[in-house]
Amino acid sequence: MFKKRFLASILSVALILGVLAGCVGKETSKSSGKSSSDEVQISVWLTPQWKGVLNASEDGADYDSFFKHAAERFAAEYKDHKVKVNVEVVASDQRDELINVNLNGGTPPDIFFESVFAMGDYAHRGALVPLNDIVDEDAKADIAQNFWDNVTFGDDIYFYPFSHNPGTLVYNADMLRDAGLEKYIGEENEIKTWTLAEYENILYGLKKDLPKNKYSNAFPMALFALNNQGDTWNLAYLRMFGNKFFDEKGNIIVGDKNGAKAANWLKKIYDDGLTNPGAESVSSNDANAMFQNQQLGVSFTNSILFNNAKADMESGKAPKFDMRLANIPSESGDPLTFTYVTGAAIFDTKDETRIKVSKDFVKFISSDPELVKASKNGVPVRSSVVEEFKGENPLFAAYTANDQFMFNFTGNVPGYNQLRQVLYPELQALYTGEKTADKAVKDYQSKGNKIIEDAKADSVIYSK
Amino acid sequence: MKLKNESFKENITGYLFIAPQMLLFLVFLVYPIIEGIRLSLYKINYQTETFIGFGNYQRLFSDPVFVQSTFNTVIFVVFIVALTVIFALFVSTAIFDKNAKYVSFIRGAYYIPVMVSMVVMSMVWSFLLNPANGLIPFVARQMELSTVNFLGDKSWVLPVIIFVTFATNVGQAIILYIASLIGVPKELFEAAEVDGASRMKIIFKILIPMVKPTTIYIIIMNIIAVLKIFVVIQLLTGGGPNNSSTTLMYYLYNNAFKYNQLGIASAVGVIMFLITLALSIPQLRAMLKKN
Repeated sequence: MFKKRFLASILSVALILGVLAGCVGKETSKSSGKSSSDEVQISVWLTPQWKGVLNASEDGADYDSFFKHAAERFAAEYKDHKVKVNVEVVASDQRDELINVNLNGGTPPDIFFESVFAMGDYAHRGALVPLNDIVDEDAKADIAQNFWDNVTFGDDIYFYPFSHNPGTLVYNADMLRDAGLEKYIGEENEIKTWTLAEYENILYGLKKDLPKNKYSNAFPMALFALNNQGDTWNLAYLRMFGNKFFDEKGNIIVGDKNGAKAANWLKKIYDDGLTNPGAESVSSNDANAMFQNQQLGVSFTNSILFNNAKADMESGKAPKFDMRLANIPSESGDPLTFTYVTGAAIFDTKDETRIKVSKDFVKFISSDPELVKASKNGVPVRSSVVEEFKGENPLFAAYTANDQFMFNFTGNVPGYNQLRQVLYPELQALYTGEKTADKAVKDYQSKGNKIIEDAKADSVIYSK
Repeated sequence: MKLKNESFKENITGYLFIAPQMLLFLVFLVYPIIEGIRLSLYKINYQTETFIGFGNYQRLFSDPVFVQSTFNTVIFVVFIVALTVIFALFVSTAIFDKNAKYVSFIRGAYYIPVMVSMVVMSMVWSFLLNPANGLIPFVARQMELSTVNFLGDKSWVLPVIIFVTFATNVGQAIILYIASLIGVPKELFEAAEVDGASRMKIIFKILIPMVKPTTIYIIIMNIIAVLKIFVVIQLLTGGGPNNSSTTLMYYLYNNAFKYNQLGIASAVGVIMFLITLALSIPQLRAMLKKN
């Protein structure tokens, strides 16, 4: 009897210890990032940017190809430690969820490569480390000041600028031709600027004269407001009638009559059937897919999306057609243009070694003469790379010509990520007729300003 | 004291055997609940936590989106649970005494959607209903019928979500009801037949009262499940249009993971926990009474 009980007790103690050992073992292996052989492991996360190391046409080109290649080279060339770089591509619309969960769990990635606008809040929250010490004079001379301004929060640089992706419209020149709108088609390597009246003519022309047998289920223009994806174009549309969006203090001022006029214009083209139906439940991903399937005459794009779409056409993944760029028009006649500066940021993992290795890796990918050539997949921020590739990509000159019309869509305000979450519900209310244009922009302004006010109070940069 | 010690010694093996389960229960269930309650009283930044008492709850109740999501959640619970119970009862009482192969077929047919991931089901529905390139609006446009944006129209979006969720979940209830109905003693039917009772009378006077425990179980389980409705909202409507299909769980998710308002999200979690607890009490009582 005693023997039996003794055996049972031993068994149950072993079980408990087993469970505990399981938990503890997992914890230690996860928290350190260093293995027994002094190998330093760092993680690099990125959202889909460009495919391939240098070109999307490379064999097996994927979104992580560049970073995997850079990681191999870094591991081979780095002297201070044995390094393993783990690269992971995360979906853009899951970025904040993943980062927040990992930040709160104490396991943020070491490096995140993304558009600066989407990551600025993490600098305000104190989750990123400044990169001033890895930016040298050569880099400062090669990269124009406006890019450094874009990545500087308070006094510190938090992102190492790599490339930028100017946002524009993209149109299907074949569809315009088929609808008898040849005169509005720009040159192949031009970013065509239309007046607002011309743009409306194009939309009405596409609606009326596009041959239905050739383009089934096709619409003139992309309009979407399901979520925050692609909302920069919606922000640009709200500036079409001269609204500046932010005042000097960083408060939203879109609730004025120019903002309402722009919202009214969106509602009008939607009601007139000049856009895809159901904009309130269509995402930018849906719109992009529809454009590639020739179901939309005019859509949104940035330089990376544009290159990827071209590569998809070349590889036969998408139907081939004549695709060209245009600016977002405005009432004044000046085009509206913006850019996403992309670059790497480093999270404060509290592990000095990993932060040091991460900084060295970020400096490596952002300044190695061979690796920075990959920035040609967007538009390079380094003038040396622009110079080298301007013959290969004539659009670089067109993008540069647009610089004078560039606006800063984030206004560098804190709380920008949350600000994005209150815009699309207002646009949905506008498209469904639940709110008038005037009320929608006014409500957005008051909700947005409340968010900015709260975020300023929490920002480590504002409270410095 | 001595007696207590002796009794403890006597039962030590038992305690040790339940210890791993208790440990897991404490670590993975009790601790998160307590931590959730604690967090709901704090304002949390990445670097600091500030005690603000019931500030998060006050903010919640003054937020129209929270009020709207509570209202939507209640609507979902009432309609989905009612539809599930009524339809499952209807199907199972109609077929439970038929040929065994036929019963198996019906059971299988209704259960397949339960086995398919909600993510897949939502994607299929999205493919059907997307207003720009979905199948149903496309066919309607081709046939020159007037189209409705099922996912973007305020008066359609709730019924659509109710139907999608109901269609996916009802199989579970049908399986449970059929099993329960098959267990009803045959003598009752024979007696009813002798008395000349109609089929309707048999259903309402015998079958439904006899499967009452199953009905209570299905109601409670479905209420708890529907309170947590999330995937279908995330994938089909994103809470829109203008938050008109947001639910408590979706609101919690947005605050926790998109806005990084952990304190607010925890407060929503605590409120949902209290609602679920309140709804579980009748079930607990019924179980205790039975024992």
